[in-house]
Amino acid sequence: MELKDIALYVDDRPAEGAFRVHRDVYSDPGLFELEQKFIFERTWNFLALESQLARAHDFVTGHIGRTPVLVTRDAAGRLNAFVNVCRHKGAVVCAAERGNAKYHVCPYHGWAYDAAGKNVDIKDRRTAHYAAAFDAEDHDLVPIARLATYKGLVFASLAPEVPPLEDFLGDMCFFLDLVLEQGPDGMEFVPGRSVYTYRANWKLQLDNGIDPYHLTSTHLSFIDVQARRSAGEGHLESRSYDWAKRSSSQAGAFAFPYGHSVVWVDQPEPHKRPIYPVLDEIRARVGDTRAEWMIKGRNTEIFPGMQIADAISPMLRTFRPLAVDCTEMRSYCLAPIGEAPELRAWRLRQFEDFFNPGGMATPDDTVVYEECQRGLGARPIAFLQGYARGMAAVMEGPDAVATGLGIRPAVSVHGKFDMFAEVAFHGPYREWARLMEAGIAGRKAYP
Amino acid sequence: MSAREHASREELLAAGVELLEREAMYLDERRWDDWLALFTEDCEYWMPTWKTDDALTADPQVELSHVYYASRAGLEDRIVRIRSRRSPASTPMPRTTHLLSNILPVDAPNGERMRLRSSWVSHVFFPRSRESHAFFGHSEHGLLLREGRWLISHKKIVLQNDYIPTMLDIYCV
Repeated sequence: MELKDIALYVDDRPAEGAFRVHRDVYSDPGLFELEQKFIFERTWNFLALESQLARAHDFVTGHIGRTPVLVTRDAAGRLNAFVNVCRHKGAVVCAAERGNAKYHVCPYHGWAYDAAGKNVDIKDRRTAHYAAAFDAEDHDLVPIARLATYKGLVFASLAPEVPPLEDFLGDMCFFLDLVLEQGPDGMEFVPGRSVYTYRANWKLQLDNGIDPYHLTSTHLSFIDVQARRSAGEGHLESRSYDWAKRSSSQAGAFAFPYGHSVVWVDQPEPHKRPIYPVLDEIRARVGDTRAEWMIKGRNTEIFPGMQIADAISPMLRTFRPLAVDCTEMRSYCLAPIGEAPELRAWRLRQFEDFFNPGGMATPDDTVVYEECQRGLGARPIAFLQGYARGMAAVMEGPDAVATGLGIRPAVSVHGKFDMFAEVAFHGPYREWARLMEAGIAGRKAYP
Repeated sequence: MSAREHASREELLAAGVELLEREAMYLDERRWDDWLALFTEDCEYWMPTWKTDDALTADPQVELSHVYYASRAGLEDRIVRIRSRRSPASTPMPRTTHLLSNILPVDAPNGERMRLRSSWVSHVFFPRSRESHAFFGHSEHGLLLREGRWLISHKKIVLQNDYIPTMLDIYCV
């Protein structure tokens, strides 16, 4: 396939009910380079929670694509994001994952920056015999072009030409609110995190995070364990869910502009949710409809690299491609700020049991992604067929569920959970094709 | 210290070391029932996560752990999952070799209880990917004597390299 035909990698023919993705989208190193340039470096990326940066001089480091990023709260209380690279010789300035520091000093030649990114010391400057040309240069940390927050989520973009964050998120804000408003004082990351890698493409995580279809095959061993627990044996503190009970629940999916999507399912075991004991407080604060939607299972994809899985105790994960076949994952347990200790412990046991890379479900996912990556080397197979469930039930625009919520997704579907709809993938792959095509054609990412 | 007390301390430590080495061997040989039988029913099994580059999570009730079980029931679940042959992560089963070293008492052992600190490396070969990885760290075991047998009443595992390649399970540490 010619690169100018990039859009053909996503075989999208809605009138015929066809949607397929070419295997090279997951396995071609050339496309990986273009994704870095035309997707990660040209759109909003999630970086941190504002609650991680509560005090002056708090900082968090991370990445946007290949670019190391330093997020700080400066002495004046402003949030900042910088390229975490020294202007002198290009070393990463701050190696720590997070902390509190008034100054960030490069470990190489000792150039120092304050939390507002200002260069406050060029070591031995007076004896340097620098020419006027050097003095005329800016020596501060390079700010990331755009930084914005939405209810405590910090996003940034290397490219200045992006829509305002709230426009980028659009009606995904409804689904973000359902997570971010679970606590009366907002949400925080529980201290601790998991960082892990897998040897496969980043989009396998993108897909899996909004894929209800794999639960009853990839996680059969979890279902075995759950059957024992339902009979009163095993790690009962995890209050794990009986997935079999979901098959006849109502469920659905929405895809939104700019690549975001959601899958949702009614919750047959609401009493296992760690917010269940405080539901009255939540209902009084956010209303009946939102409280009811907080209890439902909802997995959300914020394109490109962040997901919130809120079908058990909520987790926020980011995924960052390191190579076409290698991805770095970070996963965090989200919790209401000021939550009661017994609910916090409940939340943790549920989270660890299912979501940890050392838990009882996630390892089965990551191992299977690697099987996909090995399989994607098979030349005789061009297009994959895993985007088709729900195709005959899907509709353009909002369905009755969306209309009831006052949101306008680009695509909607609903029915019984055992439809295991795959149409939530369409939004991300349509956006992937749109951004790649725009980049290759030399057009702006956003009109 | 009298000769008798000295011998007793050596005997106690020898019993503790043997228990730790058996635990490692049972994992490597997949003798899951024998492994489970080394733990008391009310054992605490805890592997904290790192919350910063320098600090582990300190309280499993309010901070995230890789694994936290307040009883053996959680370990029994893990074995059910491994034995089900329906977990892709453990099918085919990764092969492991645990190496233990530097086993030292944390405080003076007595005839009923002791705490041991050990260093470990666990080499894991994943048949699916044909790749190997060495997890390493140190552990603290709390042992107690029950009906003439030493059993593990608590185990805290510090995984030093918790940048985890693909997966982690109880047999990897």
